Amino acid sequence: MTDVMSNVLVVDDEPQIRRFLRAGFEIEGFSVREAETGNDAIRAATLHAADLVILDLALPDMDGSDVLQRLRAWSSTPVIVLSVRASEAEKVRLLELGADDYVVKPFGMAELLARAKAALRRQALGISGESTVTIDRLTIDLAARAVWRDGERLVLTPKEYRLLQLLAQHAGNVVTHQQILREIWGQLHVNDTHYLRIFVRKLRQKIEPEPNRPRILLTELGVGYRLAAAGDRPLE
Amino acid sequence: MAARVAPSWRRSWNGPTNGRPMLKFHALRMALALRMAEGARHWLAASLAPGGYAGVAGALLLVAATTFIILIAGQFFQLPPITVMFLVPVLFAAVRWGTCAAIVAAIAGLASAAFFFERPHFSLKVDDPARILGLFLYLTVAVVTGHLAATARREAATARKREIDIRNLYAFSRRLAAARSPSDIYKAIHEHLASLVARRVVLFGPSGRGAEPVEHFGEVAAPPAVRAAAAALRAGSEGRVIDDGMNNTWLVRAVSQTAGDFGVIAVDLGRQSERDQREVRQHVEAMLADASQTLGQLDLAHALNEARIRTAAERFREALIGSVSHELRTPLVSILGAATVLSNAAAVVADSRMSELANVVRDEAVRLNRDIQNLLDASRVSGNGLQPKFEWADPSDIVNTAIERRRGRLAAHKLLLDLPAELPLIHVDAVLVEQALGQLLDNAAKYSPAGTAIRVAGRQVDGDIELTISDTGAGLTPDERARIGERFYRGARNAQTTPGSGLGLSIASAFLVSNGGRLDAESAGAGCGTTFSIRLPVATDLRPAGDPDHD
Repeated sequence: MTDVMSNVLVVDDEPQIRRFLRAGFEIEGFSVREAETGNDAIRAATLHAADLVILDLALPDMDGSDVLQRLRAWSSTPVIVLSVRASEAEKVRLLELGADDYVVKPFGMAELLARAKAALRRQALGISGESTVTIDRLTIDLAARAVWRDGERLVLTPKEYRLLQLLAQHAGNVVTHQQILREIWGQLHVNDTHYLRIFVRKLRQKIEPEPNRPRILLTELGVGYRLAAAGDRPLE
Repeated sequence: MAARVAPSWRRSWNGPTNGRPMLKFHALRMALALRMAEGARHWLAASLAPGGYAGVAGALLLVAATTFIILIAGQFFQLPPITVMFLVPVLFAAVRWGTCAAIVAAIAGLASAAFFFERPHFSLKVDDPARILGLFLYLTVAVVTGHLAATARREAATARKREIDIRNLYAFSRRLAAARSPSDIYKAIHEHLASLVARRVVLFGPSGRGAEPVEHFGEVAAPPAVRAAAAALRAGSEGRVIDDGMNNTWLVRAVSQTAGDFGVIAVDLGRQSERDQREVRQHVEAMLADASQTLGQLDLAHALNEARIRTAAERFREALIGSVSHELRTPLVSILGAATVLSNAAAVVADSRMSELANVVRDEAVRLNRDIQNLLDASRVSGNGLQPKFEWADPSDIVNTAIERRRGRLAAHKLLLDLPAELPLIHVDAVLVEQALGQLLDNAAKYSPAGTAIRVAGRQVDGDIELTISDTGAGLTPDERARIGERFYRGARNAQTTPGSGLGLSIASAFLVSNGGRLDAESAGAGCGTTFSIRLPVATDLRPAGDPDHD
């Protein structure tokens, strides 16, 4: 998917962080542009089309979430946020504002790359019309609206399929509780997380080889769910 | 009597009466008369005490009622002797209203018996000398039993009050011992004094720290006049009564006249005549004298100092930890990130020595990060920075996340997972609980040899979810078990061989407590393994209802 060289815009005021991010992305074949402030970032994003934005939240001139909002006003470029720990509420807020995913500082390059590639793949999915997502031995065929495990078609309820579809469209990236609840149960139910917990439990019984040790449908505590993607494990 | 009175009289009249025997004698007689009058008044007041004049009236009514009952019932039944019947109102009055009422009831009973029931009827005269003796005996018995009953009642009441006082005092001293700052102590003093004098009370801090009120009693703040008086009051000076300009009088005085500087107290004496005011004031002063003696005995001054030093030290330490860990963290983000880029770079991967070194940098940075995180968490705990965000969580999600996050650290151990499929949901801050559980997993991995098993199990016990983490490692001695939640405590046996800060378990415990849960440790002894158990309540009243799958 990085056949065509993707452009990454790295927005962070710490030069050392920008330096390792540049190295990490360049090794993987990305071309990197840097921005030090929020204003720089917005200017750079307008002038040079970026395929992906890595956005630090603590910028000297404005809040990272303001940059995100102004970016989202005209662009659907994937944005991955560099967040700090112990602020699940903020992560959820940023995801609701349109961020595609987050990593928690300090983070390893592999984790960030996995998130970034998942976000880029999603962008590409819309364009290429590719319609199957495979995780482990599970295949989700978005065109045929069918889910297969080990070549066997699974019987899912319409809501179960819609949840898998939603997660598959963001495969590898997190989807918040609120996004899921709004999408499947409607705006009235956005706070009914307990629905979702019980629902996910049932769905795991159908799709996970070991429902007690999920490998496919993963929980992001306090934030939401994600479908697993290769190499996305955080540092310990 | 005179001999006993004289010395006190001499003290007060010494000067002007010297060398004037006649005048001296006269004055002595007057003083004696005054004393006796005063004594009688006191006695009357004391014996009237619980019932007052209403008690006397009640006693008379009781006797009248008894008379009436005897007159009516006597028509139909054979009654016991009249004098025995009249003992009933005496005893009742004694228990209910005290000695004075009992004596009144006895005399009224005597009169009633003589008037209604002894020949000649309807006259206080009694013909039969034997009956006169009987009535005389009745009076003696009635007065004596009445007095005894009243005394017994008074003593019971005193004992009960003393018991309550002691209980209050015990609760107060316990609060003092638990106080973490001077303001806690002042709050305790304030509430103690307010409940003692049963009035509106404002306590002002000691003069050294300005006369800012520490706490108000009730809704109303101290009026400006009271504030001014409190600020003007100098250590050691007498208290004064002032008017607050709203027709209320306040007593303003030092909490203690003798033992140390505990600040200034203002007591609302209310709107009262000057005489009543003096009485209330005397009562309040007596209470305060007692209380300040107690404060002195509790070594309050020392406790205050300690608490002040503790608060300052704590604040300094928190600030230090906070800023140090932040300063350490920023470069660590770059070090860690750069190390992960290096250790995956083709050139480094190709050279096993370089790759090893890059991994060392990465792994040690990860460890450093963990230690800094622990310091931050510990300062969050003690700085009351924990604000759990409650949501519905699946206990097995929490367990799996904790295990996944530590896959590398747990890789050397055999992990046994025993989670029933249908554990009820819990309403907790899942992130905090996951971090607590993670600390316990780290602990199990650190203190048990590689290759041994770590068992994680979940079950429902009564209204709780219990998660247990058991290892077969170093175990705990009874002493270690008792101290396990202490911050920075590390068992001496392991301090040399196993790295750690001694923070993990205290953090875990605080995180769990903030979620309404608790942490327990069990161990058969050194070398016998440890089982940590987490208990979290299942919120029954919030149990999710409805079928999420309806379409």
